[in-house]
Formats: sequence, structure tokens, C-alpha cells
Amino acid sequence: MRNLRAWFLRLGGVFGKERRDRELAAEIEGHLQMHIDDNLRAGMTPEEARRQALIKLGGVDQTLENYRDRLGVPALETLFQDLRYALRMLRKNPGFTAAAMLTLALGIGSNAAIFTLTYAVVLKSLPLPNPGRLVRYTFRQGAMDLGLSGRSYEALRRHETVNTDLLAWSNADFAVEEKGTVTRASGALITGSGFRVLELRPYLGRVFGDQDDVPGGGPSGYQALLGYDYWQQHFQGSQSVLGQPLTINGRVVTVVGVLPPGFEGLIGGMRADVVLPLAFDEVVHAPNPMYRHPGSFWLTVMGRLKPGESVPSAQANLRATEAAVREEADPSHHFINGFFAPFRFGVESGRAGRSLLKVAFQQPLLVLEVLVGLLLLLCCANTALLVLARVSSRTQEFALRNALGAPRSRLFRQVLLEVGMIAAGGLGAGIWLGWAGARSLVAMLASIGAPPPLDVTPRAAIIAFTAGISLLSALAAGLWPALRAVRVAPGPSLKQGGPASSSKRLGGWMVQAQVAVSVMLLFSASLLGRSFLKLLLESSGFRADGLTLANVDLRATKPTNAVATERAQRMVEALESTPGVEAASALLSPPISKSWSAGHYYSIDAHGTVHSDMQTWPAAVSPGYFAAMGTRILEGRGFTRADAGGEPVCVASASAAAYFFPGQDAMGRIVYSGGEDPSLDGKTKVDPKDTCRVVGVAEDARYSSLRQAPPRMVYRPIVKDEMAPEFCLAVRSGNAGMAAAAVRDAVRRVSPTAVPPTVFTFRELVDEHLQQERMLVALSACFAAVALLLTALGLYALLARSVLLRTREIGVRLALGAQPGQALRMVVWQGFRLVLTGTIIGLVAALAVARLLRGMLFGIRTTDPFTLAAVVGVLLGVALAASVIPGRKATKVDPMVALRYE
Amino acid sequence: MGDKADVWQGTLALMVLKTLENMGPLHGYGIARRIEQVSRDLLSVNYGTLYPALLKLEQEGYIASEWGQSDNHRRAKYYKLTRAGRRQLAREARGWEQTTAILARFLRPGEEPS
Repeated sequence: MRNLRAWFLRLGGVFGKERRDRELAAEIEGHLQMHIDDNLRAGMTPEEARRQALIKLGGVDQTLENYRDRLGVPALETLFQDLRYALRMLRKNPGFTAAAMLTLALGIGSNAAIFTLTYAVVLKSLPLPNPGRLVRYTFRQGAMDLGLSGRSYEALRRHETVNTDLLAWSNADFAVEEKGTVTRASGALITGSGFRVLELRPYLGRVFGDQDDVPGGGPSGYQALLGYDYWQQHFQGSQSVLGQPLTINGRVVTVVGVLPPGFEGLIGGMRADVVLPLAFDEVVHAPNPMYRHPGSFWLTVMGRLKPGESVPSAQANLRATEAAVREEADPSHHFINGFFAPFRFGVESGRAGRSLLKVAFQQPLLVLEVLVGLLLLLCCANTALLVLARVSSRTQEFALRNALGAPRSRLFRQVLLEVGMIAAGGLGAGIWLGWAGARSLVAMLASIGAPPPLDVTPRAAIIAFTAGISLLSALAAGLWPALRAVRVAPGPSLKQGGPASSSKRLGGWMVQAQVAVSVMLLFSASLLGRSFLKLLLESSGFRADGLTLANVDLRATKPTNAVATERAQRMVEALESTPGVEAASALLSPPISKSWSAGHYYSIDAHGTVHSDMQTWPAAVSPGYFAAMGTRILEGRGFTRADAGGEPVCVASASAAAYFFPGQDAMGRIVYSGGEDPSLDGKTKVDPKDTCRVVGVAEDARYSSLRQAPPRMVYRPIVKDEMAPEFCLAVRSGNAGMAAAAVRDAVRRVSPTAVPPTVFTFRELVDEHLQQERMLVALSACFAAVALLLTALGLYALLARSVLLRTREIGVRLALGAQPGQALRMVVWQGFRLVLTGTIIGLVAALAVARLLRGMLFGIRTTDPFTLAAVVGVLLGVALAASVIPGRKATKVDPMVALRYE
Repeated sequence: MGDKADVWQGTLALMVLKTLENMGPLHGYGIARRIEQVSRDLLSVNYGTLYPALLKLEQEGYIASEWGQSDNHRRAKYYKLTRAGRRQLAREARGWEQTTAILARFLRPGEEPS
């Protein structure tokens, strides 16, 4: 305690020093006088008395110095002195300071922005107790992460032995009726075991147990839980919400609890404002509940590991039980081993829940982290070059201070401090930049008609990370120049001159490093950019211009499928009769929107060979489909209204026609669906409903995703009771605004009580579909541009300094008869040499970095020679431009002026 | 600052505290002279170390200071013991007595414990 108090006083003593000094001087003076008085009384002469007193006191200055050391903290004071000095130096060179700070702010800011995203998408855990013990079971093919079917969940729950229990969860949109109006709420369904597995306690009321998750919801109907934010917004956080009735999808349910703040559900980017038991599936997905259907893969399944178990042991357990699970989940083998044959069961850590964003963005974010790290490296190199230039112009100052007794450690510290202050400025600007950047990035990720999916408020982890990289960058940028400052030898440096002109001392290797990093960034950006362009320009099988789509949701009116089909038909008719609309069609689900569909089709070709395929995409469309979507009919015809009632017909996509009738004309041939193909021995009767005659061949369309090869498709007219209450309308019209109004109007007229449709153009859909690529391209292009600029600046600064230092040499050369052109060549060659070696190093590194991009590129190889050549060309061009200006300066050196310095 | 300096400072601090207890408020010169007198000039106080020691004691709150007039009308800073200082003195004095007693037992001839 005493020590602490003393330290506080000492820290305080660092300030108000002069007053204490005066006081001490007065005290010592008094001491001396008293001593002299005593000596006089003892009979000494005045001179002798003073002399003796002084001897006894010891050196007054030494006493003062000892006293001062005790008064404050000496190390701290010199630190303050150095800080003040550093501040003064920075203020004196505002241009240098601003340039250095801006450079670092760019590097730190972009790192902070990307890290914010990475944190939110990849690293953030669910706000639950011990999230590290949660695991998630998956059923996926590559990036397509479907979830499990109800039956596979149950089979898994019966067989697995590593978890205390499993839960199943599914996000679902609810139509909530409030005071006569219907609003959409993002909700979720969860099994009765759910809250036990999650160990989640309610904020208010209670959560579900097994007794709530039964058909009908138990004796008192279905019970509902509200999300904290939803409760605040719609019920003003009132306690009386418990026991209140709520009408959801036409069914009255009772609110029994409120979930704790911060819990937004198990699927990242999808809020759960209203949570109901999974049995509510019978209402939400009426009339075709999904839970019992062996082909509906829609459940997020998670478990909590028993003590002693781990993700690897869960994986081993899954491998051991998978065969039994597959058998019980789908005894018909139609789905898991048929249509979904490419999909695999798996188990992984459930710490972060399930995130669609994570599936899509984990790899791009990793790439961005690498790129942005490279950028920071470059920014540090640039700052280091700037600082080095400052340090070498202060060589004499350092030499003088060293000669006057300043220890080298102090000079070292001085330079580091200046860089540290620059980094502090960069940190401030960087945090702001990072936050703004992360916000606009998240806005780029938003789906059509949805709020930004991520929370990017600055968090302690992010600020700590940003501060950490600032510190590292300050060290990286300051260490080398600081070491250089310390190595200044007083002798030669104090003498005027002794110029350092070799590239090495000027930081040539740093320029080489910069060039190498630029090559990596530029190469990655070019690959991503070219891949993106290919995706955009490659024929998709749809004509984007003038195509407007709308998601229609009639669930609030609880129509049967027959009614929904009939209404869709009337909407299409209303649209077709609207002036300005060229074509309109209803489809089951919009194209390129992460949906996936597979059907079993087979054919018997002209040679009697059976061609069977379980991966053919069945598309039910209305007659205007091909005209509306802009999918060209290559042969035969599209559908007419008459097709709906008459003989079953279909249109095959080009690849489907080639598969089912290889080398033959598909027109007029029969394609069979359903059933087992062996029945095609001609003896078994085939239900005419399961056959269709090919009346047309359409061009291939990338229906599932622009990134994937077009699926084999068999289009047929929509059957009378096929449309679900949720469907999509496609309208072709030259005026998108008018088309949107027409769609809204048509939906309102046909179904006045339905939720207004979500309308978007095909271009917007493509933008959303390619947001991952777009973000990568935009960011990597930004990084590459900044990198090029910084490299050019670095090279320019280096050559300019070199010319300045070699003024005398150039002057002598010119005086001895060298041509100005030779001086220019000399400078440009110096720069060129640096860039050339940097480029070679960079190319090797770039090819390594590009391997990270594999899997994110479309139609282009990571070793694309054209891109490589273009990158080298751009860099050499920029280097040339950056060297010519200092080079021209060299030609203007006046030999007389230069020689006069000698 | 090595160990020796610390020990010396420690004993000096104890002497200062004891002097202030006996003599009441006193200025730096007076304290130094008094210590020399009591030690019968066996100790010579280096004034250069006295003032930092006084400052340390003041920072630790054992003594307090204020400006006043000396006997022969010199302006001088007077130090006096605080209550915490009195307690500290008692503690330190006990500690020293114990130490010296133990050392004395060691140094007394012919009484090695068997």
C-alpha cells in the first residue's frame, strides 16, 4: 500500500517539477546557511566555514539530481521528453505525417473490416452455455448444405450414442395476423428436445419440452415463444404477453415465453422472431407436411456431446451407424441413395450454429484475409520507406546526439516512438474505416427484401485485433529504420556528405518486396475479375434484359394446391392482358436461387437402349415460360394452353435431349418418369400420366446456379393441383417499374388478403446470386489498386532520393561528357532492375496464393498465362511511369551547380 | 541501487524517524547533526542521501513537512512524525531489536547450540 501511494506521488511528481525544484533549492540553501552559521560559531573564517559546509553537503548538483530521481520516475520523464520531441517532429512535417498515417490507416482499416466480417461469419459462437460442446449433423454436397429429413433425424437419434440428445430446427416464415392485417415474421420450428440440448433458459415464462411438440400442440393447442427483440417491438416488452393468443398461418397459438436477448436462432443471418414446436410443421407446410416425407431435407440437426466425446468420435460414431440410418430413413432408396446420391452425411462442430453465409463465405473470407494481410504488409513497407527517408535526412542530427552522449537505445526509441505515434493515428482512422467498410460490405451481402444479415458493431475482440495489428505494423514499419538510425557512426556522418546511394541502403529490397506483394494482389484480383466477367457474360439460358420476377406467398389465405394453381393461372392471365407485358409465366421456384431439384426419368432410344437418370431437373411451367424467361426453343415448339389438358407433352433441354436420345432426334420421342426403369421391358403397363412426348428442345439454362453446368431439364406444363401456395411469377417487359406495378396489381386483384409479393428484376437476382464473387472482385480490385499506387509511390520516392543523393555523381558524369539520355537510362534502369526481381519473386508467390482461389474460379485456371502476362505488363508499365519522373530530373542536373558542392 | 544502499537507506530512515520522535519537528540540517551527535560522530551522514530519504519517507506518508523559521531566523523546512510514522517506527524498532539480539547471540563466544 505504502509503495503504491509513493508511486502515485512519484507519477504525480512528473508534473509540477519546477516548483519542487525551487523548493528543494531553497531547502538546501537553508541547510547550507545553517551549517555555515554553526561553523562560524565554531570559530572558522567565513571562507573556511562555507568551504567545509559545501564539502560536507557533497555536490549540490548531485544531491539535486538524486532528489529529482526520487521525486519522479526518470524513465518516464525521458519518455515524455521523447514523446514531445516526436510530436514536434511530426507536426513539423505534416505532409510526411499525413502520408504515413493514411497509408497505415488504409492497411489497418481494411484488415479491421475484413476481420469484422470474418468474426461475424466464421468465428462468432452461439450465445449459449458451452457452445464448444455442440455438434451439427449435415447432409451436403460441396457448398450445398441441405439439412436432414425428419426420418433421418429420428433414425440418427435412435442410433447415435455420443450426444446427450439431438434437436432439429428449421427456420420458416410465418404469416402473423395482427389486428386484421397479416405481416410476415421470420420464425422457426424446434423439437421438444431443443432447449434441453441448447441449455437455453427463457427470459420470461417457459420454453418447450417434449409435451409441447406433439400434433395439435397438446391439450391447449400450440404454444409459441417470442424472440426478445420481437417482443420489445410488438409487445413493448410487456409481461402480460404470457398467455396471449396469436394467430399464425390461420391457427391460434398461445405465447408462453420470451427468449433471452442475443439469441437469434441457430442459423446465422436468419432471425427467429417467433418459435413454435416442430409439430407445427403440419400447419406451416399444409397440406403437405415435410416431417414425414423421406425426400424433404430441411432440418438443422444439432446435438450436445456427452462428456469425453469429441467431434472426431462423433464422426467415427456416424460412420459406424450411417448404413442403418440410411436404411431406416429411406427404405425405398429413392431419395438418399437416388435423387440425393451425391449428398453425404457428416458431423462438424456446432459452436457457431449453422450459417448459410459461412458455407458461402468462409473460403472467400479466408482469401480476403490473406490478400488484406498482404496489403498491410505493403502499407508497412511504404511507411517504413517514408520513415527511412526521414531518418536518413536526419543522419546528422542522430550523429550529433550520439556524439553528445545520447545512448543508442534512446535514438532507437525515438524513431520507434515516432512510428508508434503514426500507428496510433492510423489505428484511430483504421477503426473508423474498418467499421464503415464492414457496414457497407454487409449491405452488399443483404438478400433481396431482407435487412443486412450480420451484426458488425465493433466488439472488444475486433478492437483488440485491430490494436494488435497496428502495434505489429508499427513495429514492422519502425524497426528497420530505427536500427538504421542507431547504426549511424558519429565520425563520418558528422562530416558533410558521405552520401548513401546504393539501392540497398535506400531500401531497395523493400521496393522489391512491395512489387512482389503487388504482383500477388494484382494477379488474384485479375483472376477473380476475369472469372466474374465470365460468369456474367456466359450465356445463362435466360435473357436478363426486361425480365422481372416476383415471389408470391398465398399461405395466409390457406389455399389448397388446386386453388393456388388456379390463382396463379389467373394472375398470369391478368399480367398477359396488361399493356406493355410481352409474356408472363408462373413457376414453382425462381431460377438461380439456391434451389435444387432432381427427378427420375428414363427413355428408350431408337436402338432400344434404356437411358435412366435420377438427376434430371423436372420443371413445371406455364405456357408463357420460354418467352418470359428468354430461353430459346432450338427445335419444335414451347407449350400452349391446350397442352395442359391434352396428351402429356414435354420440352427437353438440349443436354437432356442429348442424354436420353444420344445422336438421335428427340422430337416426338417419349420420356418416362417415376416408376422403375426395368418395367420398360414393354410388358408392364406404364401409367400414361408418367409419360410425355417431346415436342420441343430448349437451349440449356443454368437453372440451379450460374456457377454450375446447366442441369438436364425436362419441362412440362403445370398440372392442375401442382402449385404450392408459394410460387414465382416471371414477367417480360421493357419497363421494369411498370412490370413490378403490374405484378403487385395482379396479386392484389386475384388474392386481396395475400401478403404483398417481393418483386425483383433478374439482374438483381444475378447480383445477389453472385454477391460472393462481386464482393471478392470489388475488394481484391481495390486492394490491387492501392497496392499499385503504393508501390509506384515507393519506387518514385526511392528513385527521387537516389537522384538527389547522386546529384554530384551525375553532375560529374555530365561534365565529363555523358549525354542526358544516359542519365535518364541510368535511373530508369535502377528502378527497372528492382521491379524485375520483385516481379519474378511475386509471380512465384502469386501462383502459390492463387491455389487458394481454386474452387472460386469459374472457367479460368489459376495458372492462366494471359493473366500472368497482363499482370507483368501492368506492373512494368507502372514502374516505368514511376521511374521516368525522377529520371528526367536527373537529366536536368546542372553540372556546374552539382560540382560547386565539391 | 544495490542491496547495500537499501540497507543503509533503511537504517537511515529508522534513525530519522527516531530522531523526529525524540526531538519533535526538525529541519534537515538539524536531523543530520542530531544523528551525528547521537552516534558520537561515528556516523557521518551524507547529506546528499539524506534529502532523497526524507522525500521517500514523506511520499510514504511517515513524515510531513512545512516551512518555518529556524532558531537563527533562517527559512527552513521542518519535518515531523505522522501517526503512520510513529507506528512504522515502533515496527521497525522491534524488527531491529530482534535482529540485533539474534546477531548478538551468534557473536557471543562459546555458546554454540549443540
